[in-house]
Amino acid sequence: MDTMRCAADTPAPLGAAKDGASESAMLKDKIKVLKKLYPHARSVLLPALYAAQQLYGWLSEDALEEVSRLTGVSPAEVKGVVTFYSLFKTRPLGRNVIYLCTNVACLIMGADTLEDFLHNTYSLSNGETTADGRFSLVIMECIGACDKAPAMLVNDDCHFNISMDNIREILDNYK
Amino acid sequence: MVKLTINEQEVEAGRDSTILEAAKSVGIIIPTLCHTKGLEAYGGCRMCLVQIERVPRLQTACTTKVNEGMVVFTETEEINKARRAVLEFLLINHPLDCPVCDKAGECLLQDHVARYGASEGRFAEGKRVHPENVNDPFIVRNMQRCILCARCTRMCGEAQGAYAISVTGRGAHSFVEPFSGDRYNCEYCGNCLTVCPVGAIMSRLHRHSYRPWYVEKEVETVCGFCGVGCTTFLQMRAATIIRTLPKLGTGVNKGLLCVRGRFGYDYVESEGRLKTPMIRVNGVLEPVSWEKALAYITTRLKDIAKRHSPKAIAAIASGMCSNEDNYMLQKLMRFVIGSNNIDSTARLSYAPAKTYIEKIFGTAATANNISDIEKSDGIFTAGGDPTAINPVLGIQIRSAWRRGAKVVVSGQPGGLGNFIDYDLNSVPLHEETVLNTIVIGLAEMKGYTGKNPYIEKKIKALRVPCEPELRATGVLLENMEEAIDDLSRLKNPVVVVGPALLQSGIPSKNLFLVAAIAYLIDARVYLLSKKPNYRGLIDMGCVPDSIPGGLPVRPGQIKLKKGVTLTVPSDKGMNLFEMIEGALDGSLKALYVMGENPVFNLPDREKTEKALKALELLVVQDIFMTETTRHAHVVIPASAWSEKDGTMTNLGGRIQFLRKGAAVSTGRSEWRVIADIAKALGMNETYSDSKEVWEEITQISVLHSASEYEEIKGVGLMWPYGSVQFQGGAEDFEVEGLEILPEVPGRKTSEGCVVPGNKLYLLPERSLFHSGSTTRKSKAILSVSPEPYLAINTVEAGRLGLCNDDTVWVKTARGAAVVTVKIVMDCPEGVVMLSNTFEKVNFNALVGYAVDPVLKCMVLTDNEAHIEKL
Ligand code: SF4
Ligand code: SF4
Ligand code: SF4
Ligand code: FES
Ligand code: FES
Repeated sequence: MDTMRCAADTPAPLGAAKDGASESAMLKDKIKVLKKLYPHARSVLLPALYAAQQLYGWLSEDALEEVSRLTGVSPAEVKGVVTFYSLFKTRPLGRNVIYLCTNVACLIMGADTLEDFLHNTYSLSNGETTADGRFSLVIMECIGACDKAPAMLVNDDCHFNISMDNIREILDNYK
Repeated sequence: MVKLTINEQEVEAGRDSTILEAAKSVGIIIPTLCHTKGLEAYGGCRMCLVQIERVPRLQTACTTKVNEGMVVFTETEEINKARRAVLEFLLINHPLDCPVCDKAGECLLQDHVARYGASEGRFAEGKRVHPENVNDPFIVRNMQRCILCARCTRMCGEAQGAYAISVTGRGAHSFVEPFSGDRYNCEYCGNCLTVCPVGAIMSRLHRHSYRPWYVEKEVETVCGFCGVGCTTFLQMRAATIIRTLPKLGTGVNKGLLCVRGRFGYDYVESEGRLKTPMIRVNGVLEPVSWEKALAYITTRLKDIAKRHSPKAIAAIASGMCSNEDNYMLQKLMRFVIGSNNIDSTARLSYAPAKTYIEKIFGTAATANNISDIEKSDGIFTAGGDPTAINPVLGIQIRSAWRRGAKVVVSGQPGGLGNFIDYDLNSVPLHEETVLNTIVIGLAEMKGYTGKNPYIEKKIKALRVPCEPELRATGVLLENMEEAIDDLSRLKNPVVVVGPALLQSGIPSKNLFLVAAIAYLIDARVYLLSKKPNYRGLIDMGCVPDSIPGGLPVRPGQIKLKKGVTLTVPSDKGMNLFEMIEGALDGSLKALYVMGENPVFNLPDREKTEKALKALELLVVQDIFMTETTRHAHVVIPASAWSEKDGTMTNLGGRIQFLRKGAAVSTGRSEWRVIADIAKALGMNETYSDSKEVWEEITQISVLHSASEYEEIKGVGLMWPYGSVQFQGGAEDFEVEGLEILPEVPGRKTSEGCVVPGNKLYLLPERSLFHSGSTTRKSKAILSVSPEPYLAINTVEAGRLGLCNDDTVWVKTARGAAVVTVKIVMDCPEGVVMLSNTFEKVNFNALVGYAVDPVLKCMVLTDNEAHIEKL
């Protein structure tokens, strides 16, 4: 079993935000900083969306409109981008999100049994969340780790060479 | 130039052209799906694959540039196989519901499949399902049919600049959606449905009501909603307009339209259209025959001229009517009745602005090609949002910005919001200080050329604003300075002037300052015109002080061919405002109103109504009953824009044909009716069609004397219409308050403390969706913009404790109205806005006006507003 934290996804320390107003203010500041790092408003969009998702937990229509206002990219285009990438959450998901790859390499290496496992153990199907809010499952196309198939992401952590022997142990770490 | 061979034919093509263009130039058509005129090559559908010798794989003709010696084949077995495969992939998901698709018959997918085969896919899986959306008032979206060519999203973004739709989702589950996922809530230009090659984005207006082959007649005409004069095609069946259809690449608009031109045409078929003439008997308008109505008008006009004098008769011309209509009205007044009392609502701002600018720069100054705006490297606008007043002109500014032009906006940016480098949005009454600062800054950077001593002398007389005066504008000095810097560097600049510049503060000062900017950076000037033919009516002599062609009124004789002599009356004609005063003081007795609604379109409604009531004779020629016909003694049904032939002159001076499509009403062309009246009053000339009217115009107007009727065909005829004597030179002009600047808020004045920060001014909102009395009769337009609202900015709304959709009283010294609130981001502080569109609540009923002593334009008064929550 290999585990790796995706460097690019390491959340920037944003502090704890409770009420919506201070989250908005933080997002505004964050995007202001981001804007200085990129040449065009458009190139700020992905990191800006990611920042919004970290602050709010998921990307509501309001959040998309806010990102649109702050980046200058139109709301429709923001939505187009958000719905293209499966790592953006367009609805509230569980505390931990399992992104399980079932594309060719992973499938050959037994991803379907892992999917069955999740279904039997947690009654989880694609797109669903467990009743206690602990896990959500998102089935992915190739996540670029075919050489270590089957692979999955849990939140920001990558897990490789998963099997029926270690999946329970991995997931036990996520409460 | 490059030489290549396509299908064994030698072709010469420009170095930059693509194989697709080169092939087209010799009549070889390569099938395409994602490629379309006016948009950049995309290379997304692979329908246009061609074979190039010595290139291993098939290439897309729409993106591949030509090369010297290239050998290309466009129809081979291999290519056709590839095309068949492309189509087969598309048919995996395409529902093939052609029998119930409005696009069938003009669908590119259908045509290509018919030609290249793959009548159905070999895939056994079910097709994706995505229900048709019919919740939008204008656009029906059937994304099962979408082939993801991205023409629509590119059109909406690249061309229109609205970015309102986008491909959402991924893979086979990609659909083009607006943000809401439901209604579009966009600018509703309809340009996306112009380009959709299949039946995925369709107009709801004529849904399931026709098949393309039902179209019996198509006429090319110009849109009748604003001064841009977009070319559009009316498609008809049995005298009914089925749809308007722009053609990409055609006209000043190059095939783009705005919401009014695209969807607003249904007003012509509205039930409220007048059908028969009416005469008021015992206070009630009663239907009468045409003969009776015309006889009544002539008898009354004769009588009034005899009892009083011809000077007691006046006419109001129409920016909605053709040149021929306006010319004939002018002829009736000036040459038949013998009165120079003729004017129009162009007097409110367009006409005075045009006169003033032409006085400073000569007559060529305001005649400019609208489609050249996008080629300029910098645009300065003041006095209103071009994307609302003249939408397709506004789109040109957006596309210039996208190509790197600097855009500087004084005032509310509106639809230019995302296309601006400098947003100089000042608080009410302080725009002058901003303009003043820019002029002084530019003069310092650019220096004086001595070309126009009059304007330079006045620029030198300007006073540099002091610190508090600058601060009072609400615009940062550094913003102004950077803008000045960029403006001073422009090579091919444009200045756009809207009506609001003349309507508050000191009009002559504001206009002079903008003219000075244009002078210093050597810019072309465009005057926005909400009505389609303001420029034309001025050229037709529908102003008190000049005859057709623009020469000043000089009493005497004009000789036409066939021995006709016309006599120019000697009186000083009344302008629009003087007509109102004249009616009130009894010097005006009769008024002939053609296609205009002065009660509605002039501020101080009470005064206008009182004036009209005092008249002995009010004749109104219109297509609907209006606020003005309520006071009329005679009402004549007119023909609508789509029902007559003639010419129109757009705001840049291009004459174009207005062509008759359908005739729904029993109305008659305005000029014909007026010619009948003129004949009864002694005119000898007869005309069989509008062309003969035009020919007479060319005999009397020096401006049009060299023009050929036939030349108007196609792209129209551009000013100066072949004549050379119209370049004109600069003259001295008058400016009021050259050295003074607006009071600094908080400073003591004779009337006490002026603190604009706590005052609210009511200003007119010029909406994209409406253009006065016609659009409010369009069911289609009303479905997206059904009622009035009060626009207010976030800060003011917060101060007053208002939220969206709150109901409030707006009170001014002139009246009060109840209206709902809409919080608008770019509405400046100190301003609330209301449109003048709807019957019950409208701007003009709540404010007064004064006449500017220099420009003789209208200045708003009594527009300080109090807002109370209901
Ligand atoms: S109607 Fe115009 S603004 Fe609306 S989506 Fe289509 S192209 Fe965009
Ligand atoms: S809706 Fe029409 S224009 Fe837009 S991507 Fe689909 S097929 Fe192309
Ligand atoms: S811009 Fe003006 S002329 Fe063009 S379609 Fe719109 S209203 Fe008509
Ligand atoms: S197929 Fe699963 S990571 Fe590539
Ligand atoms: S037309 Fe060339 S790729 Fe679509």
